[in-house]
Amino acid sequence: MTVYMRASEIIKKPVVTLAGEAIGQVKDLVFDSSTGSIRCFTLAGRGLLAGPLHRALLWDNVHGLGPDAVMVRADSALEEDDTAARPGDGDRTGGDVLGVALTTCGGRRLGDITDAVVAMGRAPVVAGYEISTAEQRRVLLPVAGPVTVSDERVLVPDETARYEAADLGTFEEAAENLRGSLRRAPKEG
Amino acid sequence: MEWWIWLVIALAAAAALAVCLLSVQARRRSGGVIAQGPGPRAGGGRHS
Repeated sequence: MTVYMRASEIIKKPVVTLAGEAIGQVKDLVFDSSTGSIRCFTLAGRGLLAGPLHRALLWDNVHGLGPDAVMVRADSALEEDDTAARPGDGDRTGGDVLGVALTTCGGRRLGDITDAVVAMGRAPVVAGYEISTAEQRRVLLPVAGPVTVSDERVLVPDETARYEAADLGTFEEAAENLRGSLRRAPKEG
Repeated sequence: MEWWIWLVIALAAAAALAVCLLSVQARRRSGGVIAQGPGPRAGGGRHS
């Protein structure tokens, strides 16, 4: 069984070394738009007046992600800078998906993204999004199959709209059903 | 003008500045979910 978390549950978690020292807190989740894989976190300092740390934490250097903290072995687990979190040359994405429109390939706007759903595990991936619909409902939609992420919208197959979940407890079933639907009709969307 | 009017103006300006600083700080610290990778193209990315 896959464990799912909202990105907002990960953001602001303290980053703690195995020596018990809190060295920052998670600011952004950075993911690969082509695979959904979480690549790294950007960090902010601890305390009200602290700003961004400008040091990235690669997922490979995360020792553990628990309910209350992101654990790293030592301060040296952080990158020297945040280059890993910046878009590469010629990269036209690199935008925050929060607030952008989730739209089907058929041109139907499903809502605005308010959060992302992360499938946890050894290699966590963005497995879906929470959206706010035109009727002001918050629903979770899984992503599978062709997904295009730009800085203005996230495009998903048309079938996605049929597999909404009300909460994380029913999200896995919705994701399974969507994957099954796309397997049966691989050329749609 | 009376001295207390200057005091009120100074306090109001200080309060406005504090609100601005706090909102800038909140913006600097607010988190996001950043997509990284190739730009949009036909047959774009594929999430698992």
